Amino acid sequence: MIKKTIQKIFFIYLVIITNASALIEIDITEGNREPLPIAVTNFFYAEDAIKDIDQISIDVSKVISADLERSGLFKSIDQEAFIQKTASMHIRPRHEDWRLINAQALVTGELEVDNDKLRVEFRLWDTFAEKEIEALVLITTIDNWRRISHMIADKIYERLTGEEGYFDTRILYVSENGPKNNRIKKLAIMDQDSFNHRYLTSGKELVLTPRFNPVKQEITYLSYFKNLPRVYLLDIQTGIQEVVGDFPGMTFAPRFSPDGEKIIMSLARDGNSDIYVMDIKSRVVERLTDSPAIDTSPSYSPDGKKITFNSDRGGSQQIYVMDNKGRNQTRISRGTGNYATPVWSPRGDLIAFTKNFQGRYFIGVMRTDGTGERLLTENWYQEAPSWSSNGRVLIFYRETKADDTGKGHSSSLWSIDLTGFNERKIETPEDASDPSWSRLIQ
Amino acid sequence: MRSSILSSIVLHLAIMMIAIVSLPIFNNPDLEIPPIVQVELIEISEKTNVPKVSKKKDKKEEKKIEEKEVEKINQPVMKPKVEKSNEKVKDASDKDEIVKNKVEQKMFENIPIKKPVIKKKDKFDPLKIAELIDKSKDTKTVEEDIEDLEYDALDSTPSLDNKLTLSEEDAIRAQFMQCWSIPIGIPFDDTMIVKIKISLNIDGSLLEPPEVLQHERMNKPSEKYFRTLAESALRAVRRCDPIKAPDINRYESWKRIQLNFDPREILRG
Repeated sequence: MIKKTIQKIFFIYLVIITNASALIEIDITEGNREPLPIAVTNFFYAEDAIKDIDQISIDVSKVISADLERSGLFKSIDQEAFIQKTASMHIRPRHEDWRLINAQALVTGELEVDNDKLRVEFRLWDTFAEKEIEALVLITTIDNWRRISHMIADKIYERLTGEEGYFDTRILYVSENGPKNNRIKKLAIMDQDSFNHRYLTSGKELVLTPRFNPVKQEITYLSYFKNLPRVYLLDIQTGIQEVVGDFPGMTFAPRFSPDGEKIIMSLARDGNSDIYVMDIKSRVVERLTDSPAIDTSPSYSPDGKKITFNSDRGGSQQIYVMDNKGRNQTRISRGTGNYATPVWSPRGDLIAFTKNFQGRYFIGVMRTDGTGERLLTENWYQEAPSWSSNGRVLIFYRETKADDTGKGHSSSLWSIDLTGFNERKIETPEDASDPSWSRLIQ
Repeated sequence: MRSSILSSIVLHLAIMMIAIVSLPIFNNPDLEIPPIVQVELIEISEKTNVPKVSKKKDKKEEKKIEEKEVEKINQPVMKPKVEKSNEKVKDASDKDEIVKNKVEQKMFENIPIKKPVIKKKDKFDPLKIAELIDKSKDTKTVEEDIEDLEYDALDSTPSLDNKLTLSEEDAIRAQFMQCWSIPIGIPFDDTMIVKIKISLNIDGSLLEPPEVLQHERMNKPSEKYFRTLAESALRAVRRCDPIKAPDINRYESWKRIQLNFDPREILRG
């Protein structure tokens, strides 16, 4: 009797086990690539804080929304659609109200002013899980609310995409005006959303190829002094400028190493251009290439171990990769057409370039071994890509064709992400060229 | 005379008895008429709808659908490309299925099928079952109780016939694909796959909160990319709640599902 009962219990157990293992598995390998709907609310504030606190509340929300939307990965929901109002929100959001308007994420916050300091508290909510997934308190001077907003947008972007944000960054570029044969070129700097624009040089001397130091608020650029090109260093915070060196012959395209300690550039001597690297402290210059062809546009890999550059040693301009001592020089571009201005991605996985093929100019990317070439955008004339700090977006400049009378020529900054679909014009007060995108501001 | 009348009556009765025993007309028609075999010849979109159970249930479901539609008013337009491609694939497979089902239908028409014993139980009036249980309450032994349990367990075991069809699986997959916003910033990693177990009610709604099977990894501070991915998958599950339920006759086979959210091909670029 007992034996029989045990047998039956064992049988039932087996049946349950069989049931459990019969779980159906469904693989979901594709998803919806539409921008993620997000609701950014105006930040709550105490009425008696300061005079313009109501405007700051609206503006903080606007800056965050605009940053996220510009990335192409988010869709900011119009505040007109909001059901729950700010006053009750800082206590606890009613998630069902937000789900009803299809917000997958919700941003709430609170502003407080204490001794002329602005305290910004923000919370990011997952409306479907009904839980807070990120919270942060930032304290700054009241005037600095815009930067705080970018920092919040970075946090949101990082939490929801898994990738570092790139909104608290600046863009350095050459501002241009005047007729094509007599352009006035000034160095200019602005936030990535075109605000806080200022000029760094007066326009008396011609400036070219400005580049950010990846680790400091410092830039290097090329400027002509008595018709001779010189490489300069400029500290953006202090305004102190110094000449890196007077090099015999022409100098082109200086760029920092990833640790910010060296400058790599091309120098032209006796009609032959080669790649050189200079230690900023010791000013010792080392030659890396030695070919009779034109080697130019060098750019370090993020680990500093490799360098990409372009050279016409094979008969046409192509992209090459070598180690940081100039050894193992290998051509990686294999397509038809000319390739120029290679730039290594901060993520290390891709090299961006300009390609000229049948009179058209393309901005594209390829893997570091030259495979997987993808052309992201095409135009009459465009060049000089520069990566965003997270390696997802490229900024470059584009020129429009002048008519027969020389009119109609203009140049402007554009950005495009790696999908090739999110192309946007970047507003500048005047014509613009040669952009360089900073890392996240420390 | 009297004896002949008696023998006539006896003979008539005998013939009647033979007739009752042997003629099919007197037999239980249930045993002779083959059971109706359901052959589904419906579009994929229809297949995912909950079939009619009772009028009451229908009304409830209609209400729920209406509610869901209200919720969806402000949803962004889902990527049509994904839907289209799926439909195309399913159209082709449906055609095959239709031909196959037609053949099967003909086969079933010609072959008399013995009514399964378990099905007989299904036909019982639930009230009568209750009566039976009540009657047997006093007399049932422990052993008999175990036998009943055993029977129920067998009944709930999904047989091969109860399995979800490929198109039903595709329909479930398509729903989660539409609900899932992939965090495309995550760097490629061969282990980036999130496994979520869900339990569903018969109307396709979540029976309990979805469970990430790799929850230990999700909670590790060093696994922030995995956490972001897992959260996006959980959002997709909740966003899709309730899903359009497949055939309720096969409820046992889809009431528990493991969803593997696998963005590796997309992240590889």
